[in-house]
Amino acid sequence: MKHQGKCVVEETQPIVIDVGDGAAIPKPSDKGLVSAWWLSFIGALVTLGCLLYFKPNPYWRIFKFIPDGILVTFQVTVSAIALALVIGLITGLGRISRNKYINLVASTYVEVVRGVPLLVQLFYIYYALGRVVHVPDLLAAVISMSVCYGAYMGEVFRAGITAIAVGQTEAARSLGFTRSQTMYYVILPQAWRTILPPVGNEFIALLKDTSLVSILGVADLLRRGREFASESFLYFETFTMVAVVYLIITLILSKLVSFMEERLSHHVKR
Amino acid sequence: MSNDSPIIRISDVSKYFDDVAALSHVSLDIAPGEKVVIIGPSGSGKSTLLRTINRLEDISSGKIVVDGFDLDDKSVDINKVRMEVGMVFQSFNLFPHKTVLENITLAPIKLKGMDKADADAMASRLLDKVGILEKADVYPAKLSGGQQQRVAIARALAMSPKIMLFDEPTSALDPEMIGEVLDVMVKLAREGMTMVCVTHEMGFAREVADRIVFMDGGQILEIATPEQFYNNPQHPRTQKFLEQIL
Ligand SMILES: Nc1ncnc2c1ncn2[C@@H]1O[C@H](COP(=O)(O)OP(=O)(O)OP(=O)(O)O)[C@@H](O)[C@H]1O
Ligand SMILES: [Mg+2]
Repeated sequence: MKHQGKCVVEETQPIVIDVGDGAAIPKPSDKGLVSAWWLSFIGALVTLGCLLYFKPNPYWRIFKFIPDGILVTFQVTVSAIALALVIGLITGLGRISRNKYINLVASTYVEVVRGVPLLVQLFYIYYALGRVVHVPDLLAAVISMSVCYGAYMGEVFRAGITAIAVGQTEAARSLGFTRSQTMYYVILPQAWRTILPPVGNEFIALLKDTSLVSILGVADLLRRGREFASESFLYFETFTMVAVVYLIITLILSKLVSFMEERLSHHVKR
Repeated sequence: MSNDSPIIRISDVSKYFDDVAALSHVSLDIAPGEKVVIIGPSGSGKSTLLRTINRLEDISSGKIVVDGFDLDDKSVDINKVRMEVGMVFQSFNLFPHKTVLENITLAPIKLKGMDKADADAMASRLLDKVGILEKADVYPAKLSGGQQQRVAIARALAMSPKIMLFDEPTSALDPEMIGEVLDVMVKLAREGMTMVCVTHEMGFAREVADRIVFMDGGQILEIATPEQFYNNPQHPRTQKFLEQIL
């Protein structure tokens, strides 16, 4: 499912082709993708504009009905990513821990989460949580999403941390820094630069996957669309609108992420 | 502590990586202020021996006492011992996200609670000593190898160590930069620092070393003064090794 969109070729390693599952992030070097981005973006805006202008009924009605849902989608996405980052950091550290029990727990968590479809996990955690405590739907959705994405985020953190040369750790340890001080002062400040871009990808992937929480009764963008459709029976029109809005949001976000990656790579070169 | 009692005492130390004996039954005492140069072919265990002294490598058997601390004693805080033992690596290992000055002040500020002004002043003194004061606010990536290595030495010195370990500090450098790093090391030696250096720089060894330790196959085969070592090596393998490098 996850993994960053990189093509790594090394002598000893097999070739890794990985397309990622966020939106396709347009890199300036990838001319084809950049023009595809503009084509999709302008196409989406024009479609939206035409629908609203030429067929205000029902499109304008739908358009006014769904913004609450967009807000909820963003709420879920932002809270889930924040929580997933925390879980991811802990998991990533756990995965590289020398304590074999911590290691085992973290690895098992990652393994289990990666082996179960997200939708099944959402249901499971939602109802499992419901047996223990009563939490609002929105919170349950956020927790479920972050438990899932935390596992992937953990792999991102682990990769980012292990990518830092071992000499950095040795230099710090030889000065007298403890393991955790080394992590805090030396490794993590360097690792975030490798970690941020894939986090951007995860953010977009998460935003799209939040559409699944509509099934739990959270009034996100998709759910609002379904509500409108079931009242008006205008299924095709409603989901056209929903799809176009999702597309515009993810296109904007992927542009932001690529912009951020650009800034970051300049920063690294200094 | 009398001047003769060793500051580093390595007794019958063996170290295995899986089945490979990187060190077998190595013993070596080093006196305060002494300069020891370790020489030997690739894979002979030089780095491993050096790295056991600040426990970057754990040992499989034997005993190492540094400045009175038994490194295998559970009650000894290894981080305290490491503060007394500076280390300089072949690959510099400067912190790329910190400026030169911050590279030097990080440990004293965080580990010794030194305040920033004092730490900055000390770092400036050390940078002046290694001859690159003007680079204080630059990031390591902007420096040449020789400059980076001198910063690395200053960084280690910032903890006021009693012992300095050098693992082939000039092997990664372009020939024209080797001199500037060796100059700093010679200066340090003159000031009375206890130094253990893995290096094949013969000029440096002759000028600075009190003793040269020759290793091969994880063992110390010969310990001699530079004079004896280069002019009149005893062990056949030392002779063969010197023939190859001279
Ligand atoms: N981390 C490790 N894992 C496995 N084997 C190792 C490790 N480090 C060193 N060795 C082995 O231990 C032996 C001694 O290595 P060491 O690095 O101490 O040699 P050296 O004298 O420093 O060599 P060089 O001149 O190449 O630096 C070698 O056989 C090496 O392959
Ligand atoms: Mg070595």
